[in-house]
Amino acid sequence: MEEPPREAGAPAAAIKALVCPSCGGTIELRAAGYTVTFACVHCSSLLDVSNPDVRLIQRYEKKKRELEIPLGTRGTLKGVDWEAIGYLRRSENGTYPWEEYLLFNPYHGYRWLVTDGRGWTLGTMLTTTPRIEMGEMVVAAERYAPFFRHGSAQVDYVLGEFYWRVAAGEYVETADYVRPGWMLSFEGNETERNWTLGELLDPAEMVAAFCVQPPPEWYPGGPPPLAHQPSPFARTARVALKLALAGFAALFLIFLMFGGTNRRQSFEFAVDTASGASSATVGPVVFDRPYQAVTIRARAPMLENAWIDLDYALVNRKTQESFEAYAAAERYSGNDGGESWTEGDRGATTKLAMVPRGTYDLVVDANGQKWNFDGSGVVALTITVAQGASFWSNFFVALLLLLLPAVFLIRRHLRFEAARRAEGDD
Amino acid sequence: MSRGAFLYGLWCLAIVGLFLGASVYGYSPFANGGRSAIRSGVYGPSHK
Repeated sequence: MEEPPREAGAPAAAIKALVCPSCGGTIELRAAGYTVTFACVHCSSLLDVSNPDVRLIQRYEKKKRELEIPLGTRGTLKGVDWEAIGYLRRSENGTYPWEEYLLFNPYHGYRWLVTDGRGWTLGTMLTTTPRIEMGEMVVAAERYAPFFRHGSAQVDYVLGEFYWRVAAGEYVETADYVRPGWMLSFEGNETERNWTLGELLDPAEMVAAFCVQPPPEWYPGGPPPLAHQPSPFARTARVALKLALAGFAALFLIFLMFGGTNRRQSFEFAVDTASGASSATVGPVVFDRPYQAVTIRARAPMLENAWIDLDYALVNRKTQESFEAYAAAERYSGNDGGESWTEGDRGATTKLAMVPRGTYDLVVDANGQKWNFDGSGVVALTITVAQGASFWSNFFVALLLLLLPAVFLIRRHLRFEAARRAEGDD
Repeated sequence: MSRGAFLYGLWCLAIVGLFLGASVYGYSPFANGGRSAIRSGVYGPSHK
């Protein structure tokens, strides 16, 4: 990391060289005048550097830990140059460990850089206590929802310099409140209460500032997201939802505009369900569009305990091209154990697709059959031929194809949010 | 706009366009007969 150019009017660099009374190693105080406690970078012994005579608080002979950001490294975050001067490794009673780097700038004071490997958060100590409104905390008109209501934090390892008397084993009660991209953290014990506002940093900014490894991207089944991590899928899910709704509206509008029938022509003839087959040719029927669907409706209102098989052939008078289809009208009724029942439909609707323009005849072969053989079997059959059809199957298949990707995109966002919330207390 | 949202927008346009075309030309693979019906080759009674 390159040394940033000295700004005009900046205070002189407050670096002071000392000798560790425990190991004899040379140490540099980077925030001399502010620093109270120093954990020797060679042996980790805790030193009191608030007075000119450096005093040994606690002797350690620990091996120096390799830090992702070596102390003394400088980097620019949010347009400000920061120098890492202290390092804490903390945990909740030995579990869920995380790391905190103390950053220093002579103009801007101290900041915290916090990570547990899933992202980096830049924390600023607040000088005012947040307000409580309806169970949420409010800072600068922004609301923070509770996430971890009751927790604890202990210091497991210390390195570098600090503006208070820090020591391994130091223990505080904690609570965290979040909104997307931000975390409001409380730390307190019998003697003091601190609030810190943390902003989740863009991984690219951290990589550029301190050459750290970018955190891994979240994937289903992987480590949970951070409590204040905004869903990377939220925006896509919102756009997908809007597109799906617009697509649904467009499909429905098209269905209304082009569905349905017109130019209806009806023909009536009698079918004897007792004697079998009868045939009729009806027409002419004219279709004027280049291609159209055709609907043929058959209805026999007096059909009872009988069925009529209907074979249609729609024949083009000019080309003799024939479009064939089959339908059946059937109706059964009876009484079973004192309960009357009915089954079947006296009508039948048949749809033909992509019939070319032309003048057609409809040949109807009706084969009637009676279920019981009492009485006359002659029933009136009405055949209605119309241009156009409403293909609900087309509509639902198109709707399914339209919505499936949207469901996938929205579900991805919901899974992320579910994984994030699963970590919280609520 | 993310790549996923853009691709989904294209997908929506394609589906709506195909549905419009099918509606204008009376196309349906689910029709009982006609040029585009899958069932046009399946013919005959399906009742008892």
